[in-house]
Amino acid sequence: MRFLGKTNIDFMSKRRFWYSVSLVLIAAGIISLVVKGFHLGTDFLGGTELIVKFQQPVSISEVRTAMEQAGYGNAEIKTFGSDTDILIRTPEQREGLTASDQMRKALAERFPGNPQTVLKEDKIGPKIGAELRKDAVLAIIASLIAIWAYLWLRFKFVYGFGAVASLLHDVLVVLGLVSIFDGLLSLEIDQNMIAAFLTLVGTSVNDTVVIFDRIRENQKIFKTMPLEQLMNKSVNETLSRTIITNGTIFAVLLVLLIFGGEVTRGFAFALTVGAIVGTYSTVYIASSLVLEYTNWTKSKAQLVS
Amino acid sequence: MHKYRTKLIIILAAVGLSLYFLYPTYRDYDLHRQASQLRGADSVQFIEQNEAEIRENRSKRIKLGLDLQGGMRVVLEVNVLKLIEDLAKNKDDVFTQIVKEVREEAKLSDESPVIIMRRKFEERQIRMSRYYGNLRDDNDRVTADLENESKKAIDRAIEIVGNRVDQYGVSEPSIQKLGGTRINVELPGVSKEGEVRQLLQGTALLEFKLLKDPEVAYSVMKAIDAALAAGTVDTTDTTAAAALDLSADTTKISTPDGELTPAQFAEKHPFFAIALISQQNPGEAMVAEENRDRIRRWLDREDVKRVIPNDVQFIWSAKPQIVEGGKKYYTLYPVKRSPELTGGVVTTAQATLDPSYNQPIVTMEMNSDGSREWARITGANVGKRIAIVLDDAVFSAPVVRGKIPGGHSQIEGMDNLDEARLLEIVLKAGALPAPVEIIEQRSVGPSLGEDSIRSGLITSAVATVLTMFFMLLYYRTGGNVANIALILCLLFLLSVLAAFQGTLTLPGIAGIILTLAVAVDANVLIYERIREEVLTGKTFRASIDAGYDKAWSAILDSNVTTFITGIILYQFGSGPVQGFALTLMIGIVASMFTAIFVTHAIFGIMTDVFNKQPNFG
Repeated sequence: MRFLGKTNIDFMSKRRFWYSVSLVLIAAGIISLVVKGFHLGTDFLGGTELIVKFQQPVSISEVRTAMEQAGYGNAEIKTFGSDTDILIRTPEQREGLTASDQMRKALAERFPGNPQTVLKEDKIGPKIGAELRKDAVLAIIASLIAIWAYLWLRFKFVYGFGAVASLLHDVLVVLGLVSIFDGLLSLEIDQNMIAAFLTLVGTSVNDTVVIFDRIRENQKIFKTMPLEQLMNKSVNETLSRTIITNGTIFAVLLVLLIFGGEVTRGFAFALTVGAIVGTYSTVYIASSLVLEYTNWTKSKAQLVS
Repeated sequence: MHKYRTKLIIILAAVGLSLYFLYPTYRDYDLHRQASQLRGADSVQFIEQNEAEIRENRSKRIKLGLDLQGGMRVVLEVNVLKLIEDLAKNKDDVFTQIVKEVREEAKLSDESPVIIMRRKFEERQIRMSRYYGNLRDDNDRVTADLENESKKAIDRAIEIVGNRVDQYGVSEPSIQKLGGTRINVELPGVSKEGEVRQLLQGTALLEFKLLKDPEVAYSVMKAIDAALAAGTVDTTDTTAAAALDLSADTTKISTPDGELTPAQFAEKHPFFAIALISQQNPGEAMVAEENRDRIRRWLDREDVKRVIPNDVQFIWSAKPQIVEGGKKYYTLYPVKRSPELTGGVVTTAQATLDPSYNQPIVTMEMNSDGSREWARITGANVGKRIAIVLDDAVFSAPVVRGKIPGGHSQIEGMDNLDEARLLEIVLKAGALPAPVEIIEQRSVGPSLGEDSIRSGLITSAVATVLTMFFMLLYYRTGGNVANIALILCLLFLLSVLAAFQGTLTLPGIAGIILTLAVAVDANVLIYERIREEVLTGKTFRASIDAGYDKAWSAILDSNVTTFITGIILYQFGSGPVQGFALTLMIGIVASMFTAIFVTHAIFGIMTDVFNKQPNFG
């Protein structure tokens, strides 16, 4: 069985169109980030998060009343997966991290005939939240630099640049999409989401490396072929693999998104979107930028001569 | 075939080794399942019978993270500011004002409170020695001393917390230093928050308790033994025999019964069969690590409690003694219940080497009230032993040589300087607490943990089956071989996790799923290349080799870059995220072995040995 025979699609000539698609996506994301931002998880915000399972379903508004009476009017309250599971979160930090004790007591008093069990409880001091935020940003920057360094070593400086630019593009687009869809899918940026971003960086750079590898190989065989044609040839030759691998990854992630449950949803969402964006950015950002740079230096060289 | 012998041996050895490492995980699961089918007394008996095996497998299985099995993770931070505030002398209004300013600034700053404080002093042109150390000390010296004190405080806090968690009886706790001033405590299966907070934050209690005279101690233990033999005690042949075996070379059991087989002895004397009376110190009993819980259960029984006199209390040693063969023995001390003295009176303790004998010793000073009491106690109990007890665990039980006036005591008989340092920490813990506060606490209820495992397993299974089905459909024989490689990759990944006692977390499962994608990608790259090579008109055999050859650089480069992100995730991430990075990194290495080496060998054997032409779809 095979999906594709030998193809000869002219990918590179359409790159200007795809630049504009990317720009629109990034712009939409940035507007969403500026206007409504994104939800930071308790990990990064500091505060108290409590997930409680009730025996019978309860209404959110009743839980809210209980919280208001306990002095946690600013708490965010929503269901977690099912009617009986309620997530309560407050940025508040009381002395000795006792906020959750008070919250649980308030619930027990309000719903005496409806026993509750605590599924999960997180209390993060403000200092830790700030540190985790810093570490997360550092991790992403450090991995981009490390990837650049490795690709510079194995290919050329400009290839490393193209790859890292496409990764930055992926991160920005997905971050924007997370911001746009956060209300709909109740997404938030927590430590799992950071892991998802780094994974996305990993799989996207995989794709890029496979195509760069083919370009490197073809350059040795077809020494006089113009770069644009060479890139088209390389992308076409690896197209079958790109579709199969990314199709498989996409299917696996879809499974994770559907069956994975509440805990892994954010993670799966970021990766699923990232798989699509990462595949196209390999051709239209990473390779295209290398091409633009090469054309630019060539035209400069011609002007001088 | 000759050509492939080495390759086959390598592959089979790897498979054998991973099965060996995974067996305890399987056995642990199996024992757990058997135990959960039994009810009440049956289940207790089953656990007692298999205690050694359960313990053994438990320590070697793949550990589940707190997010999968439920439990609590707490990060404690030593409150350095509180500590240096406590250390200051001649505190006045200026000092209080400075402490207040430092507290405000430390909330937002990464700098150590000691450094911030020094700056505040220098801004005001006040010498730090006004409050710390000797008047002549310059600021550098004082700062260094204070930094040193906060370093010692963290060790003290770790010792105190570790000791308490051990006494509380949590299975497989983990207590680690995190950076300079933090402690990471993980307590699987624990959810009672109030108790934990008490456990971690309460002030340490140091007590000096008198050991019971050997004759009294022995008669109490004999009464316990008789009570147990009379009651329905479930002892087992295996453990009793093992204990007796060991008793032959470490301690001797003195009973009036004469010659008995180990089984008979265990039946008649359940207590003495596993609590071995030490020969050098007949007032105490040695208990092997695996029997400690059983003795604890026995001492808690009503019929046993009835025969123990009111003023006698049994306390365990904090650390085990390691005898020949690496077995660990804890000491059970019968002591007088009411303490002679509590540790608040200790003003300082210091571990040093005795200059004349070059032996490690610990010196201890007491305040004037304490010294007076101490002189009376030691004077009345010359020749007897006094246990140094911290939070209900005995750290040392020295013999009183003579009356100690003036509070200046010296404790000898430590095996090495480390032991002496530990005693110093313990003695100081009563006098100078290490103030800690909880800065992060996460707990996962057991039911959420079970849900997570279930959804994680379902996801992995569905994803794996889906991928394998597709590979089979698309690449036929090639797909089949790739699927074998995929299963081996999973096997290797899990066994490495078991061998290095890694922890499987929910993000870790996600890492495994990602690894499967990476493994499949390597085979897709190779197969697509082989198809291309076949199209150029090469022979089948040559196409296979060329496919592997040419796909290699792409696989290597892409896997190295993914590995790099794995390393960085491991460095910067915390807890659960590290679990993800760990499985990802192991998985990448395992997948390169299976997807390249194993599949290539299989195709080689197919074509060269069996003359079959594999179908790549």
